Amino acid sequence: MAIDFSIVREAIPPLLEGLRVTALVSAIGIPLGVVAGIVAAYAAQSRTWLRPVALSYVELVRNIPYLILVYLSFFGLPKLGVGASAMTVAIGCTAFYTGGYFCEILRAALRSVPRGQTYAAFSLGMTFWQAQRHVIAPQMFGFITPPTTSLVIMMFKDSAIFSVMSLPEMTYQSNLLTANTFAYTEVLGTTALIYWICSVLLAGVGRRLETVIGRRTRHV
Amino acid sequence: MFDWIAKGGVITPFLDGVVAGTALTLAASACAFVIGVALGIVLLLARISPIAPLRSLVVLWVSLIRGTPALIHMLIAYYMVPALLNISVSPITAGIAALACNTSAYIVEILRGALGTISWGQRAAGYAMGMRTAQVWRHVLLPQMIYRSIPPLTSEFTILLKASSLMSIIAVPELATVARNATLQTDLPLQVFTITAAVYFVILFLISAASRLCERRVSRMLPHGH
Repeated sequence: MAIDFSIVREAIPPLLEGLRVTALVSAIGIPLGVVAGIVAAYAAQSRTWLRPVALSYVELVRNIPYLILVYLSFFGLPKLGVGASAMTVAIGCTAFYTGGYFCEILRAALRSVPRGQTYAAFSLGMTFWQAQRHVIAPQMFGFITPPTTSLVIMMFKDSAIFSVMSLPEMTYQSNLLTANTFAYTEVLGTTALIYWICSVLLAGVGRRLETVIGRRTRHV
Repeated sequence: MFDWIAKGGVITPFLDGVVAGTALTLAASACAFVIGVALGIVLLLARISPIAPLRSLVVLWVSLIRGTPALIHMLIAYYMVPALLNISVSPITAGIAALACNTSAYIVEILRGALGTISWGQRAAGYAMGMRTAQVWRHVLLPQMIYRSIPPLTSEFTILLKASSLMSIIAVPELATVARNATLQTDLPLQVFTITAAVYFVILFLISAASRLCERRVSRMLPHGH
């Protein structure tokens, strides 16, 4: 079977339109998730009731398939009287999931910095948050960059799941195109190729960041 | 609480379906994992072979699989490959094939990591005892590699099991599909998906716990990674 390049050419504009939605969901959802992850990681470190809450949150994210979370939010929320658009649910799910995984990354990174460092900062008269900002955080960046890059790529790819709630992202556009043309090879091939290029670019940015941070932290 | 879930028996047919769905989810995941490990070993041999084009092909395969969504793998296996090869495949075959290909790309990297921890001396020792390359692999390298990669492989299995829910996209009647259909029939999405999430949670939590146990065992038996 030969590949019909005219179909590929026609498929690219709607797919890129979908990519815009995919990118928008990731660009809003992932940073929100990072914030949630930071909050959860510090909550898990505390010795209050916040600790079990944060740990349960991480376990929920790790042990429930993304698709089920998306179904539960999209079909379940309206039953609770919370009307949310597919876009809101998509951003919310991205943030919820990213948060759980980023919390795990941060927790491992926090453990990698020796406790003596915190004590040393305290003995210099720093407050808890000053110590975090000037002493702990700069040492963690090198540690968290590689897993965070993988996490960003994972969340970007997994946004394909939002096609089940008819959010017009790239996979949904691809499904529309295949339903109309039956040109599975051309359309799915192009879609996969665009996802791949984006992932490779994101991985490249991650590697670049690693070298920049590596160069910075050598002087600390 | 119980009444909120049971809804006076409306949900009972779904609960019966859950058992069959869970069985299929577990069976398909296990099947895909076994194929994935076998494929992973073959890919590893190609990845470290002296033939450069073969190595590049594996690198490309790993990059392609890791750079594209698992959902797209499902669609490619069910729609694109049969169209290209002019064959017809059942949803379950396509689903298992997609999951196996997906996991193979991650497994080859896990195995490569494990192989890296075994020193060259062991291989040399094998040859010194008169073993052929195949024998060195079979008796010296593979057993240690598999042993050392048990913890990351179990964690890869949990990822695979989660991804198996994507088979619902191509209508394999596994747990997620059962849940989706039950929502359409009962209009009780909260109850249905909460139960589904709980079933997945219990299974995955048990596997993770077993994995942690395994990890402790393995690290105790291999005190110094030689």
